[in-house]
This record gives sequence, C-alpha cells and structure tokens, in this order.
Amino acid sequence: MAKLIKGRQPASSPWVLAGTEGAVGASHLILPLADYIKAIEAGEPADRRAPLLKAENHDLAPLQSYLGKVPLIAVDFTSTGDGRGFTQARLLRERFSYTGELRAVGKIRADQMFFLARCGFDAFELLDDEDMDTAIAQFDRFSVAYQEGSGNLTHTRRRYGG
Amino acid sequence: MYRYDEIDATLVAERVAQFRDQTRRFLDGKLSEDEFRPLRLRNGLYIQRHAPMLRVAVPYGLLSTRQLRMLAHLARKYDKGYGHFTTRQNIQYNWPELKNVPDMLADLASVEMHAIQTSGNCIRNTTSDHFAGIAPDEIEDPRPYCEIIRQWSTLHPEFSYLPRKFKIAVTGSPVDRAASEVHDIGLHMKRDANGKIGFEVLVGGGLGRMPILGKVIRDFIPREYLLSYLEAILRIYNQEGRRDNIHRARIKVLVKAKGVETFRALVEEEWARIRDDASLLLDDAEVARMQAFFQPPPYEKLAEIDVTANQSPEFLAWYRYNTRAHKVTGYRAVVLSLKAPEVPPGDMTDAQMDAVADLADRVSSGQVRVTHDQNLVLGDVRQIDLIETWQALKALNLATPNIGTLTDMICCPGLDFCSLANASSISIAKQINDRFSDFDYLYDLGHVEIKMSGCMNACGHHHVGNIGILGVDKHGIEWYQITIGGSATGISALGEVIGPSVGKEAVAETIARILDVYVERREDGEEFLQTVRRIGVEPFSERVYGKAH
Repeated sequence: MAKLIKGRQPASSPWVLAGTEGAVGASHLILPLADYIKAIEAGEPADRRAPLLKAENHDLAPLQSYLGKVPLIAVDFTSTGDGRGFTQARLLRERFSYTGELRAVGKIRADQMFFLARCGFDAFELLDDEDMDTAIAQFDRFSVAYQEGSGNLTHTRRRYGG
Repeated sequence: MYRYDEIDATLVAERVAQFRDQTRRFLDGKLSEDEFRPLRLRNGLYIQRHAPMLRVAVPYGLLSTRQLRMLAHLARKYDKGYGHFTTRQNIQYNWPELKNVPDMLADLASVEMHAIQTSGNCIRNTTSDHFAGIAPDEIEDPRPYCEIIRQWSTLHPEFSYLPRKFKIAVTGSPVDRAASEVHDIGLHMKRDANGKIGFEVLVGGGLGRMPILGKVIRDFIPREYLLSYLEAILRIYNQEGRRDNIHRARIKVLVKAKGVETFRALVEEEWARIRDDASLLLDDAEVARMQAFFQPPPYEKLAEIDVTANQSPEFLAWYRYNTRAHKVTGYRAVVLSLKAPEVPPGDMTDAQMDAVADLADRVSSGQVRVTHDQNLVLGDVRQIDLIETWQALKALNLATPNIGTLTDMICCPGLDFCSLANASSISIAKQINDRFSDFDYLYDLGHVEIKMSGCMNACGHHHVGNIGILGVDKHGIEWYQITIGGSATGISALGEVIGPSVGKEAVAETIARILDVYVERREDGEEFLQTVRRIGVEPFSERVYGKAH
C-alpha cells in the first residue's frame, strides 16, 4: 500500500496505478491520459477510472471534456527536479476550474509539500523511504507567501494589485 | 532602500528554520546527499574544493552599511576574514562549516538579508545597474521594479523547480550597465509615446557553453503587466524547456529551437490568459509604495566645484578613473576598486568592509552598491568630500586608480576554490597585474575590459570581455583560450576566438601582443573595442601566432 497523505493526514485509497503491482483486478485504476480517454469512451465506469498526467502532457485541453466526471487526477513527477507538475496543477485549478482530488505521485519529496499544496495538490503519494510525519510538518513550513496560491496561509496578504 | 515588513521578516525567518531543519536531517542521516543537494543549493550552499561555499544574495547590488557590517561579521566569525563579490552582485564565503550555515542565515535575517535562490534551478537574484537612481542618463530608477520582481520570484511555488537556473536583469538607462543582454530575461525601462513607463523585454541571452545575446520578444510591456508577462515567460519555459540535458536546459536553447517568433507567440498566448489576473496586476499604488523605499537621500543644494585644482597627479588619476558623474550637482559617485594588484579580484576583508561602512555613513548616503564587475560604489559623495574619501580609501587599499582599465578585471574564483573550474583564474589575474603595472601605459590604453572564467560556465563573463580569457583543461594541464571584441556595456557583443589556446605562462605575453596591435593601429580617440571592430581579429591573431597560424 502506497503511503498517502490527504487532508494533511495519512490516508488509504482504493486507487491503483495501471501497470504497477496490484493493478490486475483492481477496482479503481489510474491510467495514462490517452488510455484513460480510451477507457471512458469504451464505456468503462467513469467513477472508477482516473487519468494520470505525465510531465510531457502540457496540453491539458484533451482532458477538458472529462473534468466533470473525473473522480481524481494524478500528476506524475518523473524526477524530483522536474517541476512541470507544478504548472499542470495550477492550470487545472485556475484555468480549468478543476475542484476534485489532485494527487501528486512519483518522485516527490517531503520538502516539496508546501509548494505542491500551494499549486493546488490536495493528495500526496509518498515514496517508501519518506517519513510521513516529516512530510506532513512541511505543509506549515511557511505562514506567509508573496504569491497567490491554494490554501489558507495565516498571514497572506496581497502584494500586488487589487 | 527597501525595508522588510512583517511578511518579509516572517518569510525569511521561516526559511532559516526550514534550512536548519533540513541541515539537521542531513547531518542525522535522514536526508541523503542527493536529496539534500537541491535543498542546500536553493539556499546558496555549494560543496566546494575545500569547504562549503555560501553565496549570499545582495538584491540588485544594494547594501545598507548595517548589512555590510554584518557581511564583515560573517567573514570574521565563520570564514577566514574575507568575502568575494561576484558578477551577479552577490557575495560568496569560501570557508564556512556546514553546521554553522543555519546560524549564518539567521545572522543575515537579522539585517534583512538571505541566501534564498542564489543557486539551484530557480529564479536567481535580480540584478541591475549599479548607478541606479543616480545616473544622469536614467529614465527611471529600476530598483522598485527589481524589488517587486524579487518578491514575486521568491519561493514561487510554480517556478522553484525549473529546467535550469534563471537570471533576470533590469536597467533604467539607455546605456546598459547590467549586462542585461546576457541574461535569461533582460528588461529595459522605457517610455511609450504617451510617456507611460514600461519595459522592452529580451529573452534567451546567456553565456556558458552557448553564448548568445537575448532577443527582443516585446518592444514595450506597460509596467502594470510586468509580472503577468514574466509569469507567462516562466510558465512556457517551465513546461517546454529541455530537461534531458543539463547543457541544453537554459531558456536560450528553447528560444533558439522554437525560433523567436514561435516563442513570442507562445508567450503572448499565455499572457493573454493571465494579463488581467488581479494578483499579478501591478497597480499605481503598489508601484508608488515600492518607489517610496527608493527615494533619494536629502541632497544639499551645492554648487559645482572644481576639486582637481592644485591636486596631486595621484588624486587626479583616481578622480578621473574611479569617480563618475552624478545627476545632482555637487555630487559624484565613487567606485571602490576591489582590483588592487596583489588581491584576487572582487575579494574584500572584514576590516575593509567595516571601514567602508563607516566611510559610507560619513561621506555618502549610508548605502553601498555592488557592481557586476566586482567593485563597490559609494553613490552620493559631495565633491568637497572627495579628497577625504580618496585618502580614506587609499589607506584601505581600495583606491587603485584602475577602474575601466586593463587591470579592472572580472575574475571568477577559478580552480583555487571552485569545484567546477578547469583552470586557475586568480593566478592569471596576478600574472596580468605583474606584467601591466605601469599606470601610464594603462592610461594610454584607455578603456579595456578583461573578463576571465576558469571554465565554460562563464561566471567571469569572458565572452563579453573586450579581451576574454577562458581557462580550459587539456590532459590535466591548464590552457587559456583568448577572445577579443566582446562587450556587455552599451552595445553587447560576443568575442571572437583569436586562435589556439595558449599556455599558462603565456597569457600576459599574449595580451601584450594584442595590445601592441591596438596601439599601432588605433586611430584618433579610438578605444580598443572600436579598433577590433574596425580591423577585425586577423591582425591580432597574426601578431600572437605569426603569419602561418
């Protein structure tokens, strides 16, 4: 079972990534974007299928018509230094007004939790060697920010405009 | 200058606490070296040849005297009594111990300073003109906008894991004194036909392995859209910049691969979607709030006086080379030379820093500026105080009258300190100083900029040196490639290689031959760079290598 944080707490989840251990026969499958679209178009249950965005999926338009029914969107971080997922998250939240679960998966590290949450992620699948408490503590690492973002910081103030 | 409010102070304090926690986890073995590296880099901490190196941010090169005294304190307490000013207007400490770095950051926070994003694949310190606010040719002071960019880019949640580092420079004068065309983004302040302030936007300049000048992607962005336009550029870069090869990851590679027109279209399309985002819109009130921090000091109403009458040739040389015109009558800007012959370029001791802080409080406006060519500036010295200032600086070994001359070299730390370097730079600087010690000769040569890097990464900006020197390693032996004709002041240009690399002992001799050609071929009043542009590289190559090279 993957280590998952949701609502700033350890959580469990029925979702399994296609192609990983336990995917065979799993009820809830996360599929690469193209496979997800195929599956839905083929009539697979929309509440038990979710898309996985790879870093190279910077065009999110193909996903747009499914946003009303996706129960979950997973964003894959292929390496810790690859920051494309931060942009994908902001676009989903801000441009596509996606309000459902947005899960960061792959090689994310505890010290990235604050930025991930600020960009709109609300679920975080940790690597096996990551410490759950350390990761959760990072959400409150900063109480202020110079940018608008998701979540409520205690002392947020708009620095620009308005 | 900008003063922290509660938000700024809280953010920096929380950043110190974060780094203290990360360092503890690393020392306890809970973070591997690979995991710790990107975290420490985002706080300016490298592991170098001898010890960690800490790079401290000096936003757009501006320091209060209180801050300069703290830099002296850090040099004394945690280092070996000196610091090194860099081409990005920052300061580096070469000898701190890892376990002390959180304390150093806490000390810095107490004077509203930090080391945030001075390294790593994120937006680095925003640099600017070291004569900002005092230059007679200025359109408007760029520093309020630099501070706005500093805040916007600090701990930006979306742009903290970019494909590669990202550098922004802002200038407020028609003459570029910030090397803005060799930055990832160069912003040139200008006015439109209605007198409205905005920026010309250049993207994709840079040095390193692929030296290239930035391309204009927008003639004029009104100032209210500055942040949304930057955000659009960064977003396109974050999404589409290459991540498969560290040497192809800068934005210049993306701009080149896509072509300027396509890149511009992508940025404009993205910008159109976010331009009216209220959180990015810079309204007049916010600009005015920032500008209030950069109001000029209360200048006295002074008459222009001639301080050169009956003075010694030594003072006259210093006045001519190390002081600059000021927009206010009766004042001069004074450049402190960190290029004394026996000192590694850009290095300064703790005692010098303390003394300069005292001097700046006494004769200038209590502020000191760091230049990208590794000197310091006292911005607001009354002409009547120039002699006293000169005497004080002379006693500190900071009055070498060589600003803008051959020995006012830009020089990276090179092989002596840097783990990236292939060759020594500091020893070459010494060789050049030893060879060209005759000031009459230097003055006869006039304005010649030497810029030197110990490796391809080009921290010493060698591509844009009038004479550029690049250290290379060939089978464990240090060689030096020489270029001429580069410039980053006024009109930017990249230098051209004159021929095969020369051996370590031959660098000064090679430069001497190049200068001989200039002296023989120059026409009336022509500077070195102009002669190179007029006659080309060939005559210089012939003199260095012989006809059959």
